[in-house]
Amino acid sequence: MSTTEGPTLIPDSAAAQAMADREAKGRRRRGWFPGLGDKWNALPRHIQWLWLMVVVVIAYLLPILNPPFITTEPGNNWQIALAQMSVYALVAVGLNVVVGYAGLLDLGYVAFFAVGSYTAAMFTSPDSPYLHIPYLWTLPLAMAITMFFGVLLGVPTLRLRGDYLAIVTLGFGEIVRILATIIPAMKGQVGFQNVGHPPGTDANGDPIFLNSNGTPWYWLTLTVIIIVLLLAGNLERSRVGRAWIAIREDEDAAEIMGVPTFKYKVWAFAIGASVGGLSGALFAGQVGFVNNQKFDIATSILFLAAVVLGGTGNKVGAILGGSLVAYIPLRFTSIAEFKYLIFGVALVLIMIFRSAGLLPARQRLLAYGRLAYNKLKEPPMSRRVQVTTDGGKEAGDE
Amino acid sequence: MSLLELKNVSVHYGRIQAIHNMSFTVEEGEIVSLIGANGAGKTTTMRTVSGLLNPSYGSISFMGQDITSMKAHIRVVKGISQAPEGRGIFPGMTVMENLNMGSYGRNDSSGIAKDLERVFDLFPRLKERSKQFGGTMSGGEQQMLAIGRALMSNPKLLLLDEPSMGLAPQFIRQIFKIITEINDQGTTVLLVEQNANQALARSHRAFVLETGSITHRGTGKELMANPAIKEAYLGVA
Repeated sequence: MSTTEGPTLIPDSAAAQAMADREAKGRRRRGWFPGLGDKWNALPRHIQWLWLMVVVVIAYLLPILNPPFITTEPGNNWQIALAQMSVYALVAVGLNVVVGYAGLLDLGYVAFFAVGSYTAAMFTSPDSPYLHIPYLWTLPLAMAITMFFGVLLGVPTLRLRGDYLAIVTLGFGEIVRILATIIPAMKGQVGFQNVGHPPGTDANGDPIFLNSNGTPWYWLTLTVIIIVLLLAGNLERSRVGRAWIAIREDEDAAEIMGVPTFKYKVWAFAIGASVGGLSGALFAGQVGFVNNQKFDIATSILFLAAVVLGGTGNKVGAILGGSLVAYIPLRFTSIAEFKYLIFGVALVLIMIFRSAGLLPARQRLLAYGRLAYNKLKEPPMSRRVQVTTDGGKEAGDE
Repeated sequence: MSLLELKNVSVHYGRIQAIHNMSFTVEEGEIVSLIGANGAGKTTTMRTVSGLLNPSYGSISFMGQDITSMKAHIRVVKGISQAPEGRGIFPGMTVMENLNMGSYGRNDSSGIAKDLERVFDLFPRLKERSKQFGGTMSGGEQQMLAIGRALMSNPKLLLLDEPSMGLAPQFIRQIFKIITEINDQGTTVLLVEQNANQALARSHRAFVLETGSITHRGTGKELMANPAIKEAYLGVA
């Protein structure tokens, strides 16, 4: 901020011109399809719902449609690929609450995923000597347990900020993996086989939810995703959502606005963790086998990459990012070995050319919902910043 | 009973002591300034009063109530509101959303509407720009927004940390005029400033801070007449 450039208090033509010029500088095309977001927001509510229904129906039909070119076959079974993509998408939605909404960099998110997986495994697998409960019960149980772990990790660490928090969460991710290795009850690399699945048999008397059949798992996870999305959407628009955004933008400022920042950060951690645990439990059920090999740091980074790739703070972006991260190595099996190289390069490119992610968050939408957004879009005063579909980037000082 | 009273307050950053045994009061209806050079402890004092920092020794009371260990977000509800140094606005929120954040701790919608009216009266520019993102505004506008946002909690005590920092001279005068206006409307103001000239001229009382301690205190006029202060802070030899 230069000292010579104050605002002009008395509007005159020169000042107006200077202002318009400055604003024009900030005007950038950001969307893939410029104006699409505005068109979408201008549609009546029921038409939007109609379109969403179409998208949802297509999503449900994906395993049956098995669309050419998009399908991962013959390399990988398409239905199982879909099931895995949906699990990753759910993980990304959960992590997005922590990283995207509240702006807390969590590098150990895989720990919550692991806790969820182990919950499902240890309460259903015949390899486990403990109490056995029906698989579906492990889903809420996994959420509760990981939420507890989220609070456990959050309360001491959320007093830290930025880099320090990232390091501590990184450590937590490793702790869970190492505990799984050294605690005999968690069976290390041997792991748990035959993790449970939801009940139900088909006409032949075979269980519907087979590890070899991805379709029912995909449908189950997709349903869970839709429920979580609806809840997350409500959270976004609530007081909690506003508080998270304020914390992400400027934590000190949020605190002196009257936001109990610490409490809401723990909430973000706990909610994010519970979704992570839920996805872990679904993953364990679908794969049917849990051991300590799947929960390394690389997976944590992959989760984070999914959120950043999709668009930090945008739940739809998170779904896209999560699905892509799972999809690419399955679709292009010949390059699957290089997936980390490819994601690395992709991330660097995205950071350079599209720093807000594939689907950038619309922050004013986040803060106040569609209605308020549309109100703001109404014909404005002659010169004001042209708000693009996202508008989210911090323009910084002029 | 003073509105705000600091008694023997010391503040440490780790092992470094930034504030030494500081005591002062702010009475209701006053404009009180803290002036001093860089690193004198002005911002630290402000952050201690608003609750972002905790004193290592001493006590702070507000309207007779001890608030030494009260969290910052509760102090806002009690009536202490701060426009932080460097403005601290939310860059990704619109002006309107920023102002709404200012009333986060309140739920009396009629009172909030009244205060919004008041802020728009004080800063018509904010009304014009209510749909613009905070981060795309000029420095002066951001400062208006920071002050306006702080007013949205309807504070009894308004803390302003360097409101003139980085602003054009003509705008500095404007800001100080508005500060006086806010004070006339009944809000007590505690002001931290490097621009000693303007601050002293507008203040009822002032304190001079040097390396974490108060070295001079008095009314604005007294301090302006003090030769030592003239030389050190007012740029008059």
